[in-house]
Amino acid sequence: MLTMGKQSNTPAGRRYVVRTMAFMGGYVAVMLATIGGAFDAIQGKPAAWVLALVVSAPIAGQIWATLSFMRDSDEYVRAVTAKQFIVAAGVAMTLFSAWGFGESFAGAPHAEGWLIYPLFWAVFGCVAPMLRSSN
Amino acid sequence: MKNRLKLLRVERNWTQEQLGQALGVSRQAVNALETEKHDPSLDLAYRIAALFARPVEEVFENPHG
Repeated sequence: MLTMGKQSNTPAGRRYVVRTMAFMGGYVAVMLATIGGAFDAIQGKPAAWVLALVVSAPIAGQIWATLSFMRDSDEYVRAVTAKQFIVAAGVAMTLFSAWGFGESFAGAPHAEGWLIYPLFWAVFGCVAPMLRSSN
Repeated sequence: MKNRLKLLRVERNWTQEQLGQALGVSRQAVNALETEKHDPSLDLAYRIAALFARPVEEVFENPHG
């Protein structure tokens, strides 16, 4: 994230910021509407799958925005962003898998699957400042 | 990869930003090269060498030779 943040004065960085705000804005808006009960009428019905896909779509959009940012950046930014992304994804998947096994084996409270996405970005925010080398 | 990039840049009184613009890379990339946090691709190494009108070996130390 820091690499991306420091690139916000470049055209690629500005496009990334705009796309991120758009996708995350949509994600948060639908989530808030769902929590607020706007879609209670379709809960448990087939139409709820449409809602599930609509909420999830901005995640795919955000991944596309990140890939576009990498494509339009120089080789150093591209390499460091890829490294940060892979480490964050690895840590997030490890943590979430451990929690899942904790549910299965140790009676841990259930964690909703959609939490993997905010967990990924939380981890990304923590590891990115430590990963400044492409080597 | 050890290199003389900072020395060559300072000799010309260029900032990292100016060198980055001349090379078509970010200031962060120039900083990463100077501090050996990024090994350049062959393409970038040749671009840097051409900009300073020197052979690649005079800018970057051959780690295998």
